[in-house]
Amino acid sequence: MSEALSGSAAVHRPGRGNGRPWLRHWAIHLVLIVGSAFMVFPFVWEFLTAFKTYGGSVLVPPQWIPDPWTWNFGAVFDSIPLGQMALNSVIITLARTLGQVILCTMAGYGFARLNFPLRGPLFLVFLSVLMVPSQLFLLPQFEILRSLGLLNSLEGIVLPGLFSAFGTFLMRQFFMSMPLELEEAARLDGANPWQVFWRVMLPLAKPGIVALAVFTALWSWNDLLWPLIIVSDADKQPLSVGISLLASDPHNQTNYPVLMAAALLAMLPMLVTFIVLQRQFIAGIAFTGSKG
Amino acid sequence: MKLTAPQTAAPIVDPGRERATAPARRGRGPHTSAWWALLFVGPTFAGLAVFYLYPTVRTIWISLNDMGPFGRPTFVGLDNYAKLFADDVFVTALRNTFVYSLIVLLGIPIATVIAALLNTPGLRGRGVYRTLFFLPVVTLPAVVALVWRLIYNGDYGILNQALGYLGIRGTSWVTNPHTALVAISVVGIWMGLGTNIVILLAGLQSIPDSAFEAAKIDGAGPVRTFISITVPLLSPSIFIVSVIGIIGSLQVFDIIYLMLGNDQNPVKPEVRSVVYTFYQFGFGRNQYGYAAAIGLALMVIVLALTAVQFWLQKKWVHYE
Amino acid sequence: MKQRGLTRIHRAVAAGATIVAFAFTGCSTSGTSSSVNAGDGLNEQATLSYTIWDAAQKPAMQKIVDEFTKIHPNITINIDVVGTKDYWTKMQTAVSAGSGPDVFWMNGPNFALYASNGTLAPLDSSLVDTSNYPKALVDLYSLDGKLYGAPKDFDTIGVFYNKRLFQEAGVPLPTAGWTWDDFKADVAKLTNKSAGVYGIASAPYGQMTFYNTIYQAGGEVINAAHDQIGYGSPQAAEGVGIWADFIKNGQSPTIQQMTDTWPGDSFGSGKVAMFWDGSWGAAGYAKSAEGKNIDVAPLPMGPHGNQSVIHGLANVANAQSKHLAAAKAFAAFASGKEAADIMAATGTVIPAFNGTQEAWVKAIPGMNLQIFLDEATSAIPYPISKNTSAWNAIESDIIPQILSGKVSVEAGLADLAAKAQAELDKEK
Repeated sequence: MSEALSGSAAVHRPGRGNGRPWLRHWAIHLVLIVGSAFMVFPFVWEFLTAFKTYGGSVLVPPQWIPDPWTWNFGAVFDSIPLGQMALNSVIITLARTLGQVILCTMAGYGFARLNFPLRGPLFLVFLSVLMVPSQLFLLPQFEILRSLGLLNSLEGIVLPGLFSAFGTFLMRQFFMSMPLELEEAARLDGANPWQVFWRVMLPLAKPGIVALAVFTALWSWNDLLWPLIIVSDADKQPLSVGISLLASDPHNQTNYPVLMAAALLAMLPMLVTFIVLQRQFIAGIAFTGSKG
Repeated sequence: MKLTAPQTAAPIVDPGRERATAPARRGRGPHTSAWWALLFVGPTFAGLAVFYLYPTVRTIWISLNDMGPFGRPTFVGLDNYAKLFADDVFVTALRNTFVYSLIVLLGIPIATVIAALLNTPGLRGRGVYRTLFFLPVVTLPAVVALVWRLIYNGDYGILNQALGYLGIRGTSWVTNPHTALVAISVVGIWMGLGTNIVILLAGLQSIPDSAFEAAKIDGAGPVRTFISITVPLLSPSIFIVSVIGIIGSLQVFDIIYLMLGNDQNPVKPEVRSVVYTFYQFGFGRNQYGYAAAIGLALMVIVLALTAVQFWLQKKWVHYE
Repeated sequence: MKQRGLTRIHRAVAAGATIVAFAFTGCSTSGTSSSVNAGDGLNEQATLSYTIWDAAQKPAMQKIVDEFTKIHPNITINIDVVGTKDYWTKMQTAVSAGSGPDVFWMNGPNFALYASNGTLAPLDSSLVDTSNYPKALVDLYSLDGKLYGAPKDFDTIGVFYNKRLFQEAGVPLPTAGWTWDDFKADVAKLTNKSAGVYGIASAPYGQMTFYNTIYQAGGEVINAAHDQIGYGSPQAAEGVGIWADFIKNGQSPTIQQMTDTWPGDSFGSGKVAMFWDGSWGAAGYAKSAEGKNIDVAPLPMGPHGNQSVIHGLANVANAQSKHLAAAKAFAAFASGKEAADIMAATGTVIPAFNGTQEAWVKAIPGMNLQIFLDEATSAIPYPISKNTSAWNAIESDIIPQILSGKVSVEAGLADLAAKAQAELDKEK
């Protein structure tokens, strides 16, 4: 337990030797297993319900194990153009994530390390954007897009999402928590702010960038209201809109099994992305060891 | 606002440091810094100005009017705001929102401990745990609400079944006025844990080993190390998690709307949040001007609370 | 490096501006040529957007679009399905910004709002022959004597019941002409606490329950001119009271239980013996666990009859459509005879066009669906006003309190009447 809370890799505890990792960490594993079971629980229900019949899914008291096991995934493709929507979601998410990573990292660095007039008030202006309920933006943003002629397009969905006060804030925090020595060294060598940023700070900020990418991707993937409002053609809509369609039956007769099946399919890309990006976290440990 | 500006602008811990770097930049001069700032901050600022600041200004104008859904505003000045604080619906919504946010804040210490546990060097199955903790974040809110309502169901819910084994008689958690808000807040904590853990884990990776080695040499035990070393060095990340957390939970809507189940839930007054009320007046009762006032009043409150948080940060947040 | 960057940006902006300029000139050229033939507007190339909210009906709507395109090959129509939860949010945003779909579905509660704000195009008699539809629906979608919505389908309310539970309790099945007294007696006999069965579910949804009983008691929810609320009358109290009594007597699940668990699901699982629901529910109940035991009966007779409230959707044309003539023509077509036949064949809704409902009636052999058609002749139009949702919101707040006994029927309804009337008065 001591290593966990202290985060140090390099320490040997005399007297314990190199016991099996499972045993050494049994208390930690216990806590984590209980915790993750609690987290996973609704997902289990989602998974089981995807295999029920409609009647079974609305049974009172609730039916846990599907009986009979029914294959509903085909019906998902009948109800919504899942493939096309998934592609749209991927394009939109990639564009918004890439855009935010670039723009917010730059802006975050600017606020963290550059000195310029009105920096403080400007940052507060940025933050104030976060404080307005997003539904308030709907109509004005719609009007702006309409005058730009970007209604009913993927570009229209992407455009406002390239700019994020949250992303800026996140990156600013990360840059501010980094030691100044490397930066100072580079500056004394005559590097201009862009070179300092590009060559020195950016590589160091990888964990923060990964965190930002994960958030932005997640938010973009699940973003519902904005694409819903501006896109009318079914072949330009992202997955989130398709799923919300399955979830809103006008007569309280939502086809839950099909909805769950669709939700599971929609969740897969995000999950896979997260699992893959996790390796970047591990890469981060290596660089931590070389500091200090 | 002027008071907080210096705090947000400069790194906090060591004024000496700040002065030490200034001479190095003297050659650049403030003028050049402004141009560089334009490059770094300019694009994002331009985008935010067009898509978020201008709409905010427009919303302010709408809030000064009586407006139906299809335009035709009638100017009423600050009437909407005057009505707001006398309106019982808004005041209880504000109270509910504060209670919700306070409870959800409890998720932060939980996330910090779990992130620290996950950071244990040599921990097996770390990736699996991380994925499992992250699952709620990728689950559809509609599905989350569905399952939690099943858990909380008064007659057939799993929670009540479990309590039954312990001999406790459970209630209908989502329709009982005493428990509904807390029950929904728990779901809020549950949903936010994954994202908080991700941010905190990233922050943990940035803590240099030297800090922990120093603690070991001084003979500090695990809890002492956690409190005196890990948490302070992690504080920039904890800070962002709490700022974002408060901003987010003060604007809660989705989970409240979904957990209530329908418009006829008798505990609506005990549970509805400010944004929920905004939605009801805006898209439900078609009173856009009043709804805009609600949204902006919330923004001012959030702004004030965030400013307080930034002011407080110099007391507990450590930057390099 | 800075210099190069700026020049590049300059060039990009110039290029972009040129492209935009070309696009505009391109648009205006085709604009002038089509305005020359602007006679009936139905012969120009046009792409219309048609927004609906029920994914289950999309295949039928697509067939209707295909039929229309056969007659007007120059017109393309794209169907956009938006879930009910978000439909009106999206519609209001788009229409407010002057950019909504050309044709879309309209319902009763929102009709007067859209019509009175000039967002809908009137459909005159050359497009729609109102004698083909139930009068109540034509009235619902008319404002100031003009028709703005072409009735597409309708629904009425029936009493779904579980034959097995009736037989097990030894209660004779409901027959045509049965009365409120029969109904109440059946509820009492069917309620079986030990078996966990309720005789009825007093759902707090007006269209399904108390709107109907208010009219059957001789009262009204709102008057024909849509400016006077009827909740304050003794007849309204009778109509609402019957439902409150069921909960008080333990014969219906409580409001809290019905919020936790949708009563329709409880009915489909055999926990509730009777459930007043709309014709739309038939398909779902047929698929539920008790499906083969479920049948439906007409509403019981109250002091003033057994009227049902009738509601239905209409196809409306956006007054700001760039292809108004085409939009109006399609709105009328989508509610016409061919469209009605297509809808009837899918068995999903009851088409509003007279004489086309046979296929729907036969869709579920085990259920007496004819009762829904019979009720249409004497039905009351769904109660609406210009800002229906304003006083509907007050209903959602107060009715559950009345039904659960937290406030007395008289006091609660007096409160509801006063507040609802205040909202109505704002509409003037």
